Amino acid sequence: MIDIQNITKSYGSKKALDNLSLTIQEGSIFGLLGVNGAGKTTLLSILNGLVKQDSGEIRISGLDTQTSMQEINKISSIIPQHLAFYDELSVGENLDFFAKVQDAKQDDYTKAIEVNSLKSLLTQRASTLSGGQKRRLNIAIGLVNNPKIIYFDEPTVGIDPKSRNEILDSIKEYRESGITVVYTSHYMNEIEKICDEVAILSHGKLLVQDSLENLISNRNSDTINVEVFHSSKLIMLGLTLLSETIIQTKESQLVAVLKQCKEHNIAIKQIQYGATDLEKYFLDITGDCDV
Amino acid sequence: MFRAMIQKEFLLVFRDKHALLALFVMPAIFILIMSVAMKDQFSTNSIEFKVFVKDSDNTNVSKKILKNIEEDKKFQIVSNTQDAEFFIKIPQKFEEEIESKISLSVQGAIKNNQITAFKAILLEDILHAKLDTMAEHFKNQSAQAEKALQNLKISSDAIFSTKYNSSIHIPNATQQSVPAWIVFGMFFVIIPMSTIYVNERKQNTLARLHSMNVSIVSMSISKAIPYMVINQIQVVIMLGVGKYIVPLFDTPALLINGSLIALGAISIALSSTAIGISSLIAVSAKSSEQATTIGGILNILLGAIGGVMVPKFIMPEAMQKLTELSPMSWGLDGFLDIFLLSADLSMILSKVTLLLSFGVGSLIISMLILDYRIKKGI
Repeated sequence: MIDIQNITKSYGSKKALDNLSLTIQEGSIFGLLGVNGAGKTTLLSILNGLVKQDSGEIRISGLDTQTSMQEINKISSIIPQHLAFYDELSVGENLDFFAKVQDAKQDDYTKAIEVNSLKSLLTQRASTLSGGQKRRLNIAIGLVNNPKIIYFDEPTVGIDPKSRNEILDSIKEYRESGITVVYTSHYMNEIEKICDEVAILSHGKLLVQDSLENLISNRNSDTINVEVFHSSKLIMLGLTLLSETIIQTKESQLVAVLKQCKEHNIAIKQIQYGATDLEKYFLDITGDCDV
Repeated sequence: MFRAMIQKEFLLVFRDKHALLALFVMPAIFILIMSVAMKDQFSTNSIEFKVFVKDSDNTNVSKKILKNIEEDKKFQIVSNTQDAEFFIKIPQKFEEEIESKISLSVQGAIKNNQITAFKAILLEDILHAKLDTMAEHFKNQSAQAEKALQNLKISSDAIFSTKYNSSIHIPNATQQSVPAWIVFGMFFVIIPMSTIYVNERKQNTLARLHSMNVSIVSMSISKAIPYMVINQIQVVIMLGVGKYIVPLFDTPALLINGSLIALGAISIALSSTAIGISSLIAVSAKSSEQATTIGGILNILLGAIGGVMVPKFIMPEAMQKLTELSPMSWGLDGFLDIFLLSADLSMILSKVTLLLSFGVGSLIISMLILDYRIKKGI
């Protein structure tokens, strides 16, 4: 469990975090949302020991960050937004290097390669990888020490939908193996797809922390989400798509949408009434469009 | 962990072809070109004037003058006037008429001091020729007169006992070029080191390593060691070029007169300075392009000030004092002391200490800046 109590961090006169308190449950995928400058990066930096808070207390798996950061770093890992590896080294050399630096076990090293489907790319120079492959290498490096906690800082920036889905699916698998994931992203549909709980930050303060289910349901909304089985025709229908397989519509247009799906042989998986989407909720609560 | 960090650094440098060219090939070529190109400029005994001589007198005296010129190593007789720097014409009746003058035509851009030197050397040859003729004339009349005349045949070297000021040691072209371009080449680690460093910083790789419990000190030292090794390899290669390759081009070979321990000490000390400066640039630059530009300009400036491009001993006094500002000059002086003065470690200890202090100081400042930047995420 990650227990953050009343932490404050200022850079000069600017408060990056203002008396922030959060609790992240063990084995969950926790979404951290906020506009640019909300304090997400500062919080991740503090959790990884790169920056020290001015005041407040953080305990990670019962260890105090002020006194036990070295132990904490051994059980946690950050996947930075930047591709933080060496382009001139091969995939294998990169993984070897980061594994040796962390004194990683061979089994964990092998698992990181398998989970991220990098086995066939080990001898390839990192600079020649595709965007998705680079992202997978970036993630694999963070897994070689078999962390109990992983911080993902916008890990899917600039990659194709297929690679993005693969990464999101693998993150869901981490939860099943008991790993705690803290995930920041500007893509709300990603948060909706994988997170159990979400916190929204603004100007260094916590606006809300709740389960995803609570945030996007039981609200006075006439929005309906129609989830279908994957079809290449869907994109040509001119409908509002929340993701590759979710159509978002209003109650008044539902019949027309279903008719269109039938005409194009697109099979319906489920229909969710009274739903809102996280992006709309996020914009409502932050009153800001800069996401 | 430390071993992995060092291995990684070596892999990155040795995969950077441009860095390898700048570190190893460029200084070697510079040494070769500059040693060969400047061998005459640095030589103290290789003045050679190209002369064309026309003897219109064709007498004993004129023939002796011609013979003396031919035998004088300071003159090179050429067969046509176009190749000559000096055209000497011995007029008719030169022997007979006491006021008859040898005509001297200077061709091309010859400096006044060279003309003066030429006249002095030529005068010696002419006087000797005249004295020979006079001695022959007296040969059968007075043995004493002949002997007296022969005794007058003395060269300037016999008259003047020349001593050089012991504080000024003029290197030959190889002795100047090898240490100068070793120093310059060693500072070229600035470019690969700062480029790799900046990329690591910008891509948050250093922050990632820091979150893996790699300390700033470990990061910096693990970078310093490979470049120090690379610098020592450079020194060995450049000394090899000076000793074995340069002589193949009819240029004096490098002679290492001083102690090898002193040579190692000055190399390591100079390397620490080059690495310290590289680290400072790397942690301060905003981009690798900026680091490369700043590094390149700084390298050339330090080289120009430090006596790499223009040897210190031919600089005006004010400029010679200015060279003391450049760490390259401290290193170059150390190398020259070893090559020219057979210096041992005690003789260059002050320079070694200065360079080491500068290097370690720069490295510590760069660590503080890096720590600040990682904490600020910039």
